[in-house]
Amino acid sequence: MTDPREVLGVSPNAGEEEIRAAYLRKVKEYPPDQAPEEFEKVRNAFETLRDPRKRTLAMLHASDPGAPLTSMLDGRAPRRLFAGPQPWREVLKAK
Amino acid sequence: MQPKLTTGGQALCTPDNPTTGAAEETSIRQLLAHGKSKTALDRAKDLHKALGSAASEALLIDAYAGRIQALLDQNLALEAKSLIELVRGRYPSAKARLDGLSATSAARAGALDELLAPLADPGLGPESRAAIEQAVQNTVADLAAIAACRALPADHSLRLAAGALDRAFAAAASGPVTDDEIALPEVSHRSPLGSWKLLVRAIALFYRGEADSCQECLRAIKPESVPARLIPAMHSMLGLKLSAPLTPAEAALVSRTTESSASLRSELEKLDHAFADDEDEGRIFKLVRLAMQECRRLLPDQVETLKRLIYVRGSMNAVEGERLTAALQGMPRQDASFFRALAHGMETTSDTEDLAMACEYWDEFRQRAVREGWFGAKGMEVATLYIHMAGLLRRIPEDELRDLQRESRSNRKLGLDDFFFLFPEKLYERACVLDPHPEIFSQWLSWAVQESAHKGEDVAKAWHKIRPMDIEPLLYLLQAAEKRHAFPSALTYLDKAERIDAVHSVVRASRLRLLTGSALRHLEQKKPHLAAEKLKTMAALPQSRQGDRPAFMAALGYVIAVEQGDVRVMDDRRAETCRLLDSDKAAGMLVCGISAAAKRRPVEAPLVENFSLAERSALPAQIARLVAIAKDVGIKKFYFPVPYLEEAIRQFPRASGSLDIGQLRTLAETALAMGNDKFAYAVSAEGLSRGGDAEARFLVLRARSMPERQADRHVICAAAAAELARSHRDMETIGEAVDLVRGVVDSDPFTLTLDQAREVVRKEIAASDYPGGNSRGPDYSALLPGKLCNCPECRRARGEMPSPFDDDDFDEKDFDDEDFSDEKMERMFNERVPEGMPPELAQMLFEVLKEGYRNGLSPDEILEGLEDMGGFGGSSRGKGKKGKRT
Repeated sequence: MTDPREVLGVSPNAGEEEIRAAYLRKVKEYPPDQAPEEFEKVRNAFETLRDPRKRTLAMLHASDPGAPLTSMLDGRAPRRLFAGPQPWREVLKAK
Repeated sequence: MQPKLTTGGQALCTPDNPTTGAAEETSIRQLLAHGKSKTALDRAKDLHKALGSAASEALLIDAYAGRIQALLDQNLALEAKSLIELVRGRYPSAKARLDGLSATSAARAGALDELLAPLADPGLGPESRAAIEQAVQNTVADLAAIAACRALPADHSLRLAAGALDRAFAAAASGPVTDDEIALPEVSHRSPLGSWKLLVRAIALFYRGEADSCQECLRAIKPESVPARLIPAMHSMLGLKLSAPLTPAEAALVSRTTESSASLRSELEKLDHAFADDEDEGRIFKLVRLAMQECRRLLPDQVETLKRLIYVRGSMNAVEGERLTAALQGMPRQDASFFRALAHGMETTSDTEDLAMACEYWDEFRQRAVREGWFGAKGMEVATLYIHMAGLLRRIPEDELRDLQRESRSNRKLGLDDFFFLFPEKLYERACVLDPHPEIFSQWLSWAVQESAHKGEDVAKAWHKIRPMDIEPLLYLLQAAEKRHAFPSALTYLDKAERIDAVHSVVRASRLRLLTGSALRHLEQKKPHLAAEKLKTMAALPQSRQGDRPAFMAALGYVIAVEQGDVRVMDDRRAETCRLLDSDKAAGMLVCGISAAAKRRPVEAPLVENFSLAERSALPAQIARLVAIAKDVGIKKFYFPVPYLEEAIRQFPRASGSLDIGQLRTLAETALAMGNDKFAYAVSAEGLSRGGDAEARFLVLRARSMPERQADRHVICAAAAAELARSHRDMETIGEAVDLVRGVVDSDPFTLTLDQAREVVRKEIAASDYPGGNSRGPDYSALLPGKLCNCPECRRARGEMPSPFDDDDFDEKDFDDEDFSDEKMERMFNERVPEGMPPELAQMLFEVLKEGYRNGLSPDEILEGLEDMGGFGGSSRGKGKKGKRT
């Protein structure tokens, strides 16, 4: 189940106004005549979030317990280390 | 493509050959474009020597510029500088062109004083300034050197900007920086060092983890500028795809500024496989320890998340909790997120025991979520959660849930309320208190109805009490009251429902039906005066004047008059019934059926033997018409004298042509209800021969009329009916046909194509005779799936006699055998009679069951009759009512 908040790009604590604004933004981005599949996802997400009961159910099932453990690393940038200016300068001088 | 004409627009041509010069220029420019600057310069010199024109000089200067650039690119700055001086001396017109190259040369040679000195001259021309600034932007990588350049005054803006940038750059690459530290107001965006400012910001944003903003800054850096040299390395750090491999210096930078989580990924992959393959627990715990170790080393901020993920996965795989906790070096933090993940995980396993655990965890989640401020303690969210939990409990097999509930009751340490999450009723009740929404009540009612009619009524009453304007609970209560013949209550509920929505289809259809039921009930209770009152009310309804209803009203009036002994009214009503039905015989059958429905003494019906030939041949149509009248007013079982039915069956072949599709359907259904499969089969044959949209319906009737030994044909007919009905979108027939097929065959779903269905219709029309003894009927072996399911449920579903060893429970279908002798029935009854039942009572019960069976009553109807007798199997409610009366 895709998290409807992720589809609309709203925060977990988003209120009705914010949800509605995000929906209208997404509809402009994915008009039904140009991107029907995306529009369908956006509309379903909005329908879920505007209904408080469905919204609660979506919140209960926001995560997928069967997802691989490796998914916690997906989209995650590696850890960042401060190395000082020298290695940066080496690249700048190398050309 | 190189132009043929050079600067000044003059053509390069000789008097002897006007095209030679132009062709040579093209050739020289092509050489320059291909980086062959040395050859190009030699040939440009030759051409200029030959022509000596302004155009040839311009071409020569272009060739010199190309050559100087090539030397600079090869880091031969001194050679480039010598050549610049040479050209500057020979061709003063090339000064502006050479200034840019001269600046680049100085920058490449590290001669910053030489490069920047002209900037101190207020009279420096804009072209020369631009050339120097471009060289600074695209060539100078040493900010500290610019900041320290003595050729410029100490307060020169370029020196100040370079100094500020150098400090900010070092700070951003060495540790977290504030926005103020990288604001750099000294550096304007028009400065040749403007891209450095963007680079410093990009570095700071990279370390802050703001990847999108970092990328925006990188995109704004001028691609030809020195800072752009860091873009590929930074893209790599951000995990973006690269178009070319990194240089050694870039790779060194990436490895020193980022730490890959590849080793953690590898450990997690192994653990994922171990869980998926249900590997030995020892190995799982070992892999858990390794994964946690890597996570602590590489992503210390993710340790808690990983702990939770592993714990949930371990719980789903039922690994030993204590050892798992030890491998994780402690339980995950027990907050709302943890219990939400755990509960969600447990409800997704295929083990029904886990569903009860999921409910327990959901309740833990609720408590923590309220404490952590996710939602209020008495909000709609909690109600939705309770409904979800109740839904999970409904997935647990009834006996398992009862065991769990029993265990919870035996736990003396905790109160029963502590285990409310194991009781759907408590969950629904709590949910409705928190969120009295029709949707929630509807789910509660749906559950309660499955439990018992009694619970259903209680829930509907609770719903009605809290939401008196909802029509759904009233309709349920109305139908429930009607089912147990409590017509006054049903009519009261109908009154209320009419006040809410008088045009509701169920409401509109109910009043006449309830009044009929009430009148019959009064007659049954020997209260004809009350029945007469109901008839009067019915007569006032506009709908009682539609169709054949006036005939029914007249016939009912006759039966009431018989009970009241009012001969004048009797004659009047009887004559009216005859007139309306246009048949004395039909009127006789109608009053006979109504009288039987009211369980009154049989009204005398004329003997069939005295019927004329025309009256006999009209019997099938009349029976169909009377059944339709009875159905219309809600009389489910309409009694016909057996000789009439027998005569109707005899007359059917002759009369069938005059019957319409509706009459045929009614007749077939009546025959099935009477248990006369042979007659139903004959009627279905006539219906099938008519063709059209009704074929599907008659195939269903054919399937239902099939003897049990022809189970395969039963399935084929039903599957064909489903397919034909699908093509006509006849949802009712589809539902009935699919129900007949479901569970009968192993392959699920068993379907036929439309062509196959039509072939079945053809074969069934041809098979006009009821399958007797060894008759096999049409050959459908090519259409049948591998084998029929042999479980008791499926065998019962297709009407076969289950083995007595299939199960020991009393089953109504055990009495469906046509050849069921009294001895066999009594033997079976004695095997199943409850222990301790007094023999007299057992004998009485057997007689009632036997009689009911012989009269074609279903076990439910027999039991209902027993309840009415008040002596056996009555509900506690019935007993209470009786007790109250006495």
